Amino acid sequence: MTLRKSAIGLALLAATGVQAAEFKWASTTDPQTMDPHAVNSAPVLGFLNNVYEGLVRRDKDMSVEPALAVSWEPIGDGEGWRFNLREGVTFHDGSGFDAQDVLFSYQRASGEAADTRSWFAPISEVKVIDDYTVDFMTTAPNPLFPSSIANWMIMDQGWTEANDATVPDKETGNYATLNANGTGAFKVTTREPGLRTVLEPFGDWWGEAEHNITSAEFTPIQNPATAVAALLSGDVDMINPVPIQDVARLQGNDEVEIIQGIEARVIMLGFDHQAETLKYTDDAGKPNPFRDPRVRKAVAQAVNVDAIMSTIMRGNAEAASQLVSPAMSGYSAAHANRPAYDVEAAKALLAEAGYADGFSFGLKCPNDRYLNDEAVCQAVVSMLAQIGVTAELDAMPVRNYWPELREDNYDMYLLGWSPGTFDAEHPVRFLVATPNEEKKLGSWNFGGFSNARVDELLPAIQSELDETKRQAMLDEVTQIIQDEQVYVPMYVQPLVWGTRSNVDLTQRPDNFFLLRWVTVN
Amino acid sequence: MFAYIVRRMFQSVIVLLVVGLVAFSMFRFVGDPIDNMLGQERTQADIERLRTELGLDQPFPVQYFKFLQGAVQGNFGVSYRQGRPVSTIIAERAPATLELAFVSGFLAITLGIALGVFTAIRRQGVAANVIMTISLIGVSLPTFLIGILLIYIFSVELDLLPSFGRGETVKIGNWSTGFLTASGLKALILPAITLGLYQMTLIMRLVRSEMLEVMRADYVRFARARGLSDRVINFRHALKNTLVPVITITGLQLGSIIAFAIITETVFQWPGVGLLFINAIQFVDIPVMAAYLMLISVMFVTINLIVDLLYYAIDPRLRVDARAT
Amino acid sequence: MTDTIETPPPAPKSRFDKFWDSDFAWSYRHSPVAIIASVVVVILVLAAIFAPLIAPYNPFDPASLNLMNGFTPPGTPNAFTQDTFLLGTDDQGRDVFSTILYGMRISLFVGAAAVLLAMIIGVILGLVAAYFGGWVETLIMRIADVQLTFPAILVAMLIFGIAKGVTPPEYRNEMAIYVLIIAIALSDWVQFARVVRGAALVEKNKEYVQAARLIGRGSIPIMFRHILPNVLSPVLVIATISLALAIIAEATLSFLGVGAPPTQPSLGTLIRIGQGFLFSGEWWILFFPACTLLALALSVNLLGDWLRDALNPKLR
Repeated sequence: MTLRKSAIGLALLAATGVQAAEFKWASTTDPQTMDPHAVNSAPVLGFLNNVYEGLVRRDKDMSVEPALAVSWEPIGDGEGWRFNLREGVTFHDGSGFDAQDVLFSYQRASGEAADTRSWFAPISEVKVIDDYTVDFMTTAPNPLFPSSIANWMIMDQGWTEANDATVPDKETGNYATLNANGTGAFKVTTREPGLRTVLEPFGDWWGEAEHNITSAEFTPIQNPATAVAALLSGDVDMINPVPIQDVARLQGNDEVEIIQGIEARVIMLGFDHQAETLKYTDDAGKPNPFRDPRVRKAVAQAVNVDAIMSTIMRGNAEAASQLVSPAMSGYSAAHANRPAYDVEAAKALLAEAGYADGFSFGLKCPNDRYLNDEAVCQAVVSMLAQIGVTAELDAMPVRNYWPELREDNYDMYLLGWSPGTFDAEHPVRFLVATPNEEKKLGSWNFGGFSNARVDELLPAIQSELDETKRQAMLDEVTQIIQDEQVYVPMYVQPLVWGTRSNVDLTQRPDNFFLLRWVTVN
Repeated sequence: MFAYIVRRMFQSVIVLLVVGLVAFSMFRFVGDPIDNMLGQERTQADIERLRTELGLDQPFPVQYFKFLQGAVQGNFGVSYRQGRPVSTIIAERAPATLELAFVSGFLAITLGIALGVFTAIRRQGVAANVIMTISLIGVSLPTFLIGILLIYIFSVELDLLPSFGRGETVKIGNWSTGFLTASGLKALILPAITLGLYQMTLIMRLVRSEMLEVMRADYVRFARARGLSDRVINFRHALKNTLVPVITITGLQLGSIIAFAIITETVFQWPGVGLLFINAIQFVDIPVMAAYLMLISVMFVTINLIVDLLYYAIDPRLRVDARAT
Repeated sequence: MTDTIETPPPAPKSRFDKFWDSDFAWSYRHSPVAIIASVVVVILVLAAIFAPLIAPYNPFDPASLNLMNGFTPPGTPNAFTQDTFLLGTDDQGRDVFSTILYGMRISLFVGAAAVLLAMIIGVILGLVAAYFGGWVETLIMRIADVQLTFPAILVAMLIFGIAKGVTPPEYRNEMAIYVLIIAIALSDWVQFARVVRGAALVEKNKEYVQAARLIGRGSIPIMFRHILPNVLSPVLVIATISLALAIIAEATLSFLGVGAPPTQPSLGTLIRIGQGFLFSGEWWILFFPACTLLALALSVNLLGDWLRDALNPKLR
């Protein structure tokens, strides 16, 4: 009888998995591949940072620190960068790490089929000096190169070649899509796409373990309500993200904790700068008012960002004055003020521009991309109605949204931008520079804004080594963007994770979750 | 007879082809897979190249024809999202859906018949009327809301049952089952109720009304006149005669359980083919969507065909009809 | 009839009295459930029709909204604006009571129009199939098979997707409601067609139809004058139950994000928005629309249930 009882007890224990150091977490999206060069997206790179490592990595505060390279220095007068590699590092399958793996990973990650190709645009050549020294030659001085490759992960040449995965394949997949062999603190033991992925600590990791987990299981849960329920009932130990509206309630619960931060993503309104006429509603075919900076300014003054932050974002966001948040390098402190909320001033601006009676237009918005994106757009619609401008909202899933923007089917749209390099130059390159397919500039500048001065300053910013001169140029660009009101930056999106209260972890502003900083008490 | 079967099967194949064509024409409007497959720093050239590689630049009849060519050989293509053969993915996910469908179907049939008989026999009773009304509440709320409410009550407030997933599963060959572990069984309860509730109500009401009709039939009245006990009349005569239509309808409904599983699986994050399909829509994973719709169609068309053939075998009048037309 | 001054004839029964004395009305008068259900339906329908007169706010007018009113609990003044709302406000500061009234309008309109459309399509195709037989019947019933092959929700999603693709973007919001109607109707007509066809097949061989055919009446008059009235009662029952199903289908579609736009929410859209606040304590945003939907669908279902029993003489 007692024997049977204990057997049942054991079975229950095994079933509920209450071992202190087993860790389960959930997020909305499953990383779609285990191949670090196939898809350049936050869910993939964030997850694989646990498994693979780059030459450099980012610390808890986002500062760049040595990883597979122990040190690096500029070559000559900005001709490139020399990386001195760490010795005695092994991959999960036991093979050693050396300069050949770096060269191989460079070729793989910069190849035609790689989604990470653009990171290596400034590189002219990579030279292996010896087993543990590699030189990256750049076409122009590039002060930011080391910090721009923190997510470039090194793969083992032998393993990749043996498994016929030398080229990343995102269409049909290959061995590296489902299997991983990195040098990181954790190795993948089970990978069931869309269902669960199990990780275990890598015993021969070169670094010192700061965590106490023996196994970690990741489950994608799309429905936010289901994820919150799973956290509350203890089915998972951590969820990312927590729906904004549930923050207050979860904070009142002793069993769970909320970890909050500010993400790097700035949410803004964008305009069609090019189209001669409006495309939507009764005013379709009439001249496009958004080509007039005064109208764009009126929009900026009509949007009550504080109200959006206090109700829809529930006090969890920060107002944004420019295209990057204050935490980014190159942020222009001199331009930290955003236009004040002022309905009368906005109406006056409209009247000055010849639209005293308002006009109506189409606003496009995603409904599954940013936190409460649809609700924010609705609020914008009712705020613009106060100055007599009628917006017709069309909200759609992101799978329809980008094609719509690419085809210029909007008068005004919502966009969130998180600079991959954590630097103010990034949004200028993608969102403000005149679109130029050849130079890969302005590829997300849907509205087609164009300013000669900005285009002239951008290359100078990219190659300037002197911090002060660089900042002065960034300040000037920010000034132009604000004067022209190219976009209406609204707020910096908050970052909210939920954990069980016995879990300690670190939240990085890039929304990457690293298992090596997790302790389960 | 043989000619009828052949003709009927030929019609079924046409139905399948039409379904496929309609499905393929729809994919163009679901969205664009490209943005999910490329990162933030993609260029227009990357977009064009990938589009050509996936064959998305071709007109949809051509894409459909290629899909059919593969499908005939059992090759449904490779998932855009997972980079693996669609047939493998569906085979992995099918056990979850089938087990859920089986349990909720079982619940629906047993409870449905039992409650149906009860409400028919005690037609005027208070309990029967209460059951009838409650069952209507079940069909008057959308499935997703019932699921969310069940999670709220039983997982969050009472902390009795898991809120998502299948719990621990055991692999038997290629089949992963949740029937053999305590957590697997616990995880089944809420989704099975959510999914089965609607079907249960349907079966219950069907049994009830059939029973009521049969009990008015002459032979039941005679049986009563002969002094047979209520018990014998209710179960041996009445229930038995209601079962034929009940089984037919139930058969058809079992197919729709699998289809309805889409919503239940989304709410409970149940890793079956329904969730796979919803995810496929979200990421415009065309090969997965196409394969799923084709499979569902094959299933429904087969069930329809079997039902028709059964009727044909049972009901002699139809045979005359079939010959006449 | 001239000398009946002393004993006047009993006044001829008015239509109403005839109706009042009919079995149908008798059954109604003796079914408390049917009475309550119909009263609820009538109240809700009237409230929906007269929403602009009853509702204290117009939730579809963005200029009247104040975001600072967002999340005001029912019956308590808002901390910033001091405004009070009977059933509280949602995340946009919209009065929940007004939104429900307007939302119910959309839900009822979509449901009723969809059922009507489904009924017209189904009855015509069912009659045609039964009356003509042959390849016409085969074609119609196979189309019905295709329809049944796809679960209703999928059919609706499909139609919605295609419609979104082919309508010019500037008309999409206005189109959404009509697309919903067509989508639900096209996933629902099969039931009508099947029942009508089944019943008509039986009627077709009865003497009165044969007789009508012998005296040379055309097929269309025969179908509509003779067969149709005899298959109407099952159609009525299905229509009632379909109405409840259509309202729920609309809610489910809106939940899946392919329904009414959030700027002009239906009950389903309101529930979709509200379920996001289930854990956060703003229960009223979900609770009141859900209750309204439940009350509406439940009473329509109860009516349908009673109707089925009342119209089936065998059960009396």
